[in-house]
Amino acid sequence: MNIKEKAIKSFFMENPVTGLLLGLCPTLATTTSAENGIGMGLATTFVLLSSNVVVSLLRNVIPNRVRIPAYIVVIATFVTIVDMSMQATLYQLHKTLGLFIPLIVVNCIILGRAEAFASKNTVWHSFLDGLFMGLGFTFSLFILGSVREILGSGAWLGIRLIPESWNTILVFVLAPGAFLSLGFILIGMERLSRLFERGK
Amino acid sequence: MSKQESGFKVISVLVLIAFFAAALLAYVNKITREPIARNMKEETKQAVRIVLQNLGQFDYPDDPLDKSLTEFAARYFPAKNASGQIVGYAIIVKAPNGFGGDFDLMVGIDSTGKVLDTYVLNHKETPGLGDNMKKEDFKKQFRGRSLANTRWAVKKDGGDIDALTAATITSRAFTAGVKRALTVFNVLNEEAKQ
Repeated sequence: MNIKEKAIKSFFMENPVTGLLLGLCPTLATTTSAENGIGMGLATTFVLLSSNVVVSLLRNVIPNRVRIPAYIVVIATFVTIVDMSMQATLYQLHKTLGLFIPLIVVNCIILGRAEAFASKNTVWHSFLDGLFMGLGFTFSLFILGSVREILGSGAWLGIRLIPESWNTILVFVLAPGAFLSLGFILIGMERLSRLFERGK
Repeated sequence: MSKQESGFKVISVLVLIAFFAAALLAYVNKITREPIARNMKEETKQAVRIVLQNLGQFDYPDDPLDKSLTEFAARYFPAKNASGQIVGYAIIVKAPNGFGGDFDLMVGIDSTGKVLDTYVLNHKETPGLGDNMKKEDFKKQFRGRSLANTRWAVKKDGGDIDALTAATITSRAFTAGVKRALTVFNVLNEEAKQ
């Protein structure tokens, strides 16, 4: 497997959010700012990476009939580890993301990759898959978070772009704004993916 | 999908996985418990400095004291000056019925019963709307208010407080929280006089 090709694929064509439309619940809920998007993305990347590796290691041990419960236990363990270590080290970020970290357990990207990829491939390939899928997820959360933060709060990564007294388009910080921005980003990413496919 | 594993194997594999997961979590919990508790305590201690900063130099205990009233419970830090006189209180109350449930609010009150400043310790209010309660624009209207000189409700409900745009529920909870803190102050102040 060519790493560069794999990277482009997971960022564009098979990007979890804009390509496969997976994990939209945390995507829409946590991307009120670019920083939150990155935080959520990296937390998910860590869980994805670790669960992919462990599931791949255990792929010949886990009986077929109980594979889903086994995967869930593995995933829930890593999510709890992320939750506790973030609270210990990145206390402020954890306060903002708080509620959504435990919900990574039910993010279907992670279970999806465990089931569709890690349970059938070698540890090294599963590691790469988890890494790139996670980074692709982080990438789209960052874009979505940036759009919503700039339009909704007039700031980017916490840096004010317009004076505080000016009115911003408040709706972009709210749930409807998340859907609106995601729609336009989907169009853009679709175009980009086509460009990459033609370029090959 | 081809062969059916025996029930024994299925059970033992699941038990083993769960066992390792539990052991790992116990270990992580052990190493992170202390930093988490320290972070929370640190934040609370800094919040006392913030809400009482107008008082200048003062001392306060490491851990808050408890005060239960009939309707709700509160925690508080008494702030004392160099000669041991109480110059103010930082009172932690639950602001009731916010948009995302109750949230913890710290209110700094001087010895005459006037609000100095407020600090939201943890909350689940909507980012970008309810959490604007942490902003100066909203907070500044509470300074100098006391139980007697203010009608403690948002303007929509016939009170004196300007609610946040599109976050009336949060503003109501916040207002009720500050009022609670002032009620606690009155009780503490009466007790101190006796």
